[in-house]
Amino acid sequence: MPREIITLQVGQCGNQIGMEFWKQLCLEHGISKEGILEDFATQGGDRKDVFFYQADDQHYIPRALLIDLEPRVINGIQNSEYRNLYNHENIFVSDHGGGAGNNWASGYHQGKGVEEDIMDMIDREADGSDSLEGFVLCHSIAGGTGSGMGSYLLETLNDRYSKKLVQTYSVFPNQMETSDVVVQPYNSLLTLKRLTLNADCVVVLDNTALNRIAVERLHLSNPTFAQTNSLVSTVMSASTTTLRYPGYMNNDLVGLLASLIPTPRCHFLMTGYTPLTVERQANVIRKTTVLDVMRRLLQTKNIMVSSYARTKEASQAKYISILNIIQGEVDPTQVHESLQRIRERKLVNFIEWGPASIQVALSRKSPYVQTAHRVSGLMLASHTSIRHLFSKCLSQYEKLRKKQAFLDNYRKFPMFADNDLSEFDESRDIIESLVDEYKACESPDYIKWGMEDPDHILTGEGNASGAVDPKLAV
Amino acid sequence: MDATSSCPSTPRWNVERPFLTGRFHQETKSRHSEAKGFSMDSLNTGLEKAIACYHASVQELIVIDDLLSALVGIEGRYISIKRFRGKEFDVTFQIDASMDLALQELAKRIFPLCESFLLINQFVESRSQFKTGLVNHAFAAALRAFLLDYQAMVAQLEHQFRLGRLSIQGLWFYCQPMMGSMLALSTVIHKASANNFMGSAVLNLLQSQAKAMAGDNAVRSLLEKMTQCASSAYLGILERWVYEGVIDDPYGEFFIAENKSLQKESLTQDYDAKYWGQRYSLKDGIPSFLANAAGTILTTGKYLNVMRECGHNVQVPASEDSKFISFGSNHHYLECIKAAYEFSSTELLNLIKEKYDLLGKLRSIKHYLLLDQGDFLVHFMDIARDELAKRLDDISVEKLQSLLDLALRTTAAAADPCHEDLTCCVERSSLLKRLGTLKALEIRSLADSNDLKEPVSISGLETFSLSYKVQWPLSIVISRKALTKYQLIFRFLFHCKHVNRQLCGAWQLHQGVRAINMRGTAIPRSSLLCRSMLKFINSLLHYLTFEVLEPNWHVMHNRLQTAKSIDEVIQFHDFFLDKCLRECLLLLPELLKKVERLKSLCLQYASATQRLISSSVDIPKSEVPSKGSLGLEKSKQGKSRIPSRVLKLAITNSTVTDSILKFEKEFNAELHSLGPILSNSAQAEPHLTHLAQWILGVGNEQ
Repeated sequence: MPREIITLQVGQCGNQIGMEFWKQLCLEHGISKEGILEDFATQGGDRKDVFFYQADDQHYIPRALLIDLEPRVINGIQNSEYRNLYNHENIFVSDHGGGAGNNWASGYHQGKGVEEDIMDMIDREADGSDSLEGFVLCHSIAGGTGSGMGSYLLETLNDRYSKKLVQTYSVFPNQMETSDVVVQPYNSLLTLKRLTLNADCVVVLDNTALNRIAVERLHLSNPTFAQTNSLVSTVMSASTTTLRYPGYMNNDLVGLLASLIPTPRCHFLMTGYTPLTVERQANVIRKTTVLDVMRRLLQTKNIMVSSYARTKEASQAKYISILNIIQGEVDPTQVHESLQRIRERKLVNFIEWGPASIQVALSRKSPYVQTAHRVSGLMLASHTSIRHLFSKCLSQYEKLRKKQAFLDNYRKFPMFADNDLSEFDESRDIIESLVDEYKACESPDYIKWGMEDPDHILTGEGNASGAVDPKLAV
Repeated sequence: MDATSSCPSTPRWNVERPFLTGRFHQETKSRHSEAKGFSMDSLNTGLEKAIACYHASVQELIVIDDLLSALVGIEGRYISIKRFRGKEFDVTFQIDASMDLALQELAKRIFPLCESFLLINQFVESRSQFKTGLVNHAFAAALRAFLLDYQAMVAQLEHQFRLGRLSIQGLWFYCQPMMGSMLALSTVIHKASANNFMGSAVLNLLQSQAKAMAGDNAVRSLLEKMTQCASSAYLGILERWVYEGVIDDPYGEFFIAENKSLQKESLTQDYDAKYWGQRYSLKDGIPSFLANAAGTILTTGKYLNVMRECGHNVQVPASEDSKFISFGSNHHYLECIKAAYEFSSTELLNLIKEKYDLLGKLRSIKHYLLLDQGDFLVHFMDIARDELAKRLDDISVEKLQSLLDLALRTTAAAADPCHEDLTCCVERSSLLKRLGTLKALEIRSLADSNDLKEPVSISGLETFSLSYKVQWPLSIVISRKALTKYQLIFRFLFHCKHVNRQLCGAWQLHQGVRAINMRGTAIPRSSLLCRSMLKFINSLLHYLTFEVLEPNWHVMHNRLQTAKSIDEVIQFHDFFLDKCLRECLLLLPELLKKVERLKSLCLQYASATQRLISSSVDIPKSEVPSKGSLGLEKSKQGKSRIPSRVLKLAITNSTVTDSILKFEKEFNAELHSLGPILSNSAQAEPHLTHLAQWILGVGNEQ
């Protein structure tokens, strides 16, 4: 069972989207709510073992850890039809059940407290796999548990499993509405630091955009959480199809990510999916072709990250890399033609400092899920406009910070004890440099940007002492 | 040839004893005359002399009597047979010159008939021997029947003569209708025996003669009848071949030869697939009426044979209509052949497609050799990494095989029942060299083939290849040659995958240092180079798989669905492979060498990354000891070299930067030099423009 992936779902939001994800995977692989392979699921050719393993009685168990500090959502899962799917040993609910109170510091601190328990679970899962490829973390960055405890887990995973990949599906808060979580900007900033430093890849799921898509594209006047979560699970399952339905390329997570992520820190991906449907909703069925799907994927209205850029900045924004995962019955000759058309129409604005083009992965569709459309597509892209999302987070943080608002909640915890707010400042610096780096990506001489660092002018000194054989340094 | 030697021979006495050959008339006569040479001479001469003395009317009676004998090949009193020694078929009749001139003239006119009779009779006797073959037997039998008619006519004439109703004019009158037929037959026989024709040659001769005599209705129909009779045995052979796939040809007359030394098992080894091409072949001497259908006939029986070899007993459903009665002008036989061909080809096609599941097998080969389902390879490369990295001689194929089996069992391939047919092998030479040796592939020969020297240390990664056990009868389609082509493509893909993996490893190393501030170090530069290389190898792989293999496979798959015969299937499959081979650059050594060079640069860089990164990482560490739990290993490394660190690190940094820049420069130079080669070759091979678009920075044209 090679190249397994362990999913950690942390916090209310993480568990909710995680559950939707597993629902979708079960449907696609023909696994029943109890974890038993359905009678009709005989086609084979899929890889269930990346995300599932089989118990002694052959029923499939997700490689998933359900972690929360308050019992509400997890109890919900345990009372749902899917209660027998998960391994009960993999469910962690804090003893006191009081949650993190939407406080990052509380989540982080509690995470530290239960580190041993959780790492035991992770180690057990890791030992149960042949060659673990990495971890997937589902969480939101605004609340307390998902952001705080998630951050702590990211750091710990990075330490303990430094050779393994860590990918996160991070839900960014809805910035259009005034949130009930007033400290959201603090939480976001502190989590963003860990996402920047301790994750290999962050798939940004922007609640603002998800809501917008639900309203505009799916014509839902008041989208429920379940409906936006099903959008998320669609994206999550689609982005893992090449791992689950093996094809020519991208059969492992590292291959998938390596082609998308140019430099270690610029690892934030945005997604787009088309055609979108929500369960039990009769949509107008349209004709889908490869070209059609690819073209729609490039339209901002289908992209699940809001653009906060002003028009002038938006025109500067460039794609660093694009991977289109096309699912369904595709005539492979269409792919080249479609790419050609997109190129001719200049629909994509790519970075100028390096080779870039749309990569395409063709993948099978699950034979067990009936869809109205022949072809569907997911876009995973690294785009410089994502910096505006971070800038927005920064500016919201600055506003709060200036007022010194709500900081008392944080000072209660050791990290910020004695009024030591350097963690905030450091996080702010790192996010700022991330924004800078994305901005630099938009200019043609990004290559020079990395080399000339105003802080460390060291390169000149080396020459005086003569050349040292680099091999000696090993 | 074999057939003639193995056929039963007639006992010698059958030839030697005149009573059995029908020559006794002549022989007894001559011996008679020799024996009586002395005593009866006077009597004979007396008689001869007497002929002139008789009255013409008496002479006429005597001549008629003699002629009637001569008509069945017996010498008379005044008519003698003159033979030329050594020339068996050259016989002339002579008549006593003292006879009445008018009678002599008339008699001489009848002589050709007598000569023809003798000739035909002799032919019949000589061709009835076993060794002359079925066609001759049948022809002789037909002639014998014809001679019986003739003899009956002579007997009737004799009866008339006895009744005193036959004058010599009458005799001449009655002989005339026979004359044309007999003469025509004797010309045929002359030619046939002069050239010692056998089998189809006889048939051809008869047919052409019939055509030549088209003006003479009686003769033509006689000859046509003869042709038909003579060919009936031949058609019997044909029928068994076309309906059962059996060569029932004891005398080697049939135009299809079987080479029994070629065994069907050879298909899995024989690069040229001789079994399929040469097991059954056309010989010389195809009967002209079958000349156009010969190919069809050959394949019909060949298909039936394949089915029989599969233990699948098939017989073309026999019906009254399908008998080969004749090959007359109505072309009924051609329709029969066509029907049989269609039957056997659809039957075989169904057998191979349904029972032996050709498409399933091809799909499975595609999964493994063309990496359509590449997940098993990822796992295999994980577990076989160490073994593959060894030198050629140290690699244990058995170990690789067991690792391969393990990889197959634990990935999606497990669901494919065919996965057990996959074996692995380690070849002795690099891909470039192997391509050079496969001349059969018509690779443009390299002018500088000398520099194709083996790299000094060639590891399993360069020479690993998969193989696939193909069983009869699928080996007809997936022959050794086809499999070799699959393997070539696989090796190329495999190595690209390897490069890709190494670069992914390098990428992960870069990921490992993201926690530290990298500005001012060589890492950003290095990660960009890594990205360029990844981009290159991914583009190449993308081109190979989605632009070449997948569309071409798609086309072939559709064509195979509509293929009408196994030969078409083979043709489509071979076409697919050749196209893929060409489009995968494997037939363009110049280009391939460039690509190999680029790949080896990628590998060099990937293996150097660890060193480059870990030595450049130390710098910011010394300056800004970062807080929190970051890169534990690295800080340990750092501590071991605390003294004089600052200076040394500064030096390392610049050398690291230098070596990264060197890699970058080399890589870019190679990549740019690929451009012109690609665009040059693209004129001949249009699909290369796709590759060029992929590799040479499409993003730049904005």
